[in-house]
Amino acid sequence: MEHDLKKVKENALSDFSRYISPMKVRTMKAAGLDIIEDKREGACVWDITGKKYIDCQTGSGIMNVGRRNNEIIAALKNALDTYDIGVFLLCSKPKADLAKKLAEITPGDLACTIFGVGGGEANDAAIKIARGYTMKKEIIYTEKAYHGHTGFSLSAIGRESYKEPFRPLMPDFTMIPFGDIDAFKKAVTNDTAAVILEPIQGEGGINIPPDDYLPAVREICDKHEILLVFDEIQTGFGRTGKMFASEHWGVIPDIMTVAKSLSGGLYPISATIFKQEIQDFFIPHPFIHLSTFGGSDLGCVVGMAVIDYIQKNNLPEHAEKMGKLFRRGFDRFVKDFPALLLEVRQKGLMMGLQYTNESIGPRLTKKMAERGVIAIYTGNDPSICRLMPPLVITPEEVDYVLNALEDSMKELSKEAGLGKND
Amino acid sequence: MATKQEILDALADYQVQCNDNKRLRKMQRDWSKLIHFNADDTGDKFTMNCVNGEIVSFEAGAVGAPDIIVSAKSEYLCDMFWGDLNPSQKYLQGEIRVKASQEDIVRLDAITMIIWPDA
Repeated sequence: MEHDLKKVKENALSDFSRYISPMKVRTMKAAGLDIIEDKREGACVWDITGKKYIDCQTGSGIMNVGRRNNEIIAALKNALDTYDIGVFLLCSKPKADLAKKLAEITPGDLACTIFGVGGGEANDAAIKIARGYTMKKEIIYTEKAYHGHTGFSLSAIGRESYKEPFRPLMPDFTMIPFGDIDAFKKAVTNDTAAVILEPIQGEGGINIPPDDYLPAVREICDKHEILLVFDEIQTGFGRTGKMFASEHWGVIPDIMTVAKSLSGGLYPISATIFKQEIQDFFIPHPFIHLSTFGGSDLGCVVGMAVIDYIQKNNLPEHAEKMGKLFRRGFDRFVKDFPALLLEVRQKGLMMGLQYTNESIGPRLTKKMAERGVIAIYTGNDPSICRLMPPLVITPEEVDYVLNALEDSMKELSKEAGLGKND
Repeated sequence: MATKQEILDALADYQVQCNDNKRLRKMQRDWSKLIHFNADDTGDKFTMNCVNGEIVSFEAGAVGAPDIIVSAKSEYLCDMFWGDLNPSQKYLQGEIRVKASQEDIVRLDAITMIIWPDA
């Protein structure tokens, strides 16, 4: 039986390599992450051979309600008795229900929604709305930002290597350093339509801005009639200890994008939520931005169930509590492993470990995988490990992850190439 | 331990393998990098110049300002150029250290995958 499963795994990897991506398989094998996901439950996933992992990657924050959450599955199964995706040109009750719910739970006067399938699409819509509504062209974004790989969003990614092969990109995009208010002031012109920001940069390395940054950005946007777009795709739905990360600073954007965990990890959906006044752009253009599968009726039912689950179980508060448990361990590790760990950046269960050099991220990823924890360095900076476990993670699972991290660091401490200059 | 000449011989073979591989040349045609290789145990250094996917030269010594620096025991460098080890595995064990962007690290590994798929 065990032999059979190993063979099934080998064949799946071989087919994946041949028909999808040989380099992805090679990279995952080297990192000890050549996992073929099988059973999934709560904070855990099992490889097809039976090995259990605690998932601290969760598709960069898709699984806030846990993997295969029974209540979300029940809602989806129930919806399948009546609904399908729906016809995107028609109006629908599930869409209306979810849009109303999003208006209720998002901060301030965010009121209207355009649905999409993924995060990139949501940010594309945000940028289109900003240009259409303001009738201005320039978009400001930040270094190390990540907003997705689609057309407008790709132009707003702060990592050159994602963009370079595809030039020319969208014109009139200006990049500034994240967290630098003077740089923002200098970049603003009379033709600036919007600034797009992650309140906490995820892919860029869990970069938390200075406390006065986002309020100052808001103030400048108001002064110059620039729309403020918050990409809460990784930070939203309780991840940081509040329903939305921007609530930590009390700053309300003009447009907010959400995706990932709105899906419950079960049905893709994203949303671009904006203030009522911006709706005026769509009144003469009701069909100017369409998405065949965006906000499908099934996805909207799942989105509603996800929000209900998060609220009913107060997952933001739980994320804050579990984050504190993690922090106790991290603070000890910073003292015990100074050659490996420089600092920890964290809000709730959005956590980044800053290592001393770029080789440590991949090496610790492998050691953690050997110990049954999926913990992967960030795409924009391999010297940072991003930990974003499901918000339903238990104290016992937090202990398990911390023990695995401590063991991995002990083992790595004995190896070569740990200096800042290596 | 590998001598300077042994590493130069391996580099010569590596150059032929890379430059004669049409698929690799096409794949790497937008990749131009000056790469330094440092042998930790012997102190020997080597420079390889890759222009538009072609290895146009290599020599002993550290020449110019590198885009990429690869450091390892001389034996590992030699084995890597002969295709006798998996550089990703050694990288993840800290035995091969690379100062480069993540994209360039993947590019280096891609060369090995194309020339020696089983390495």
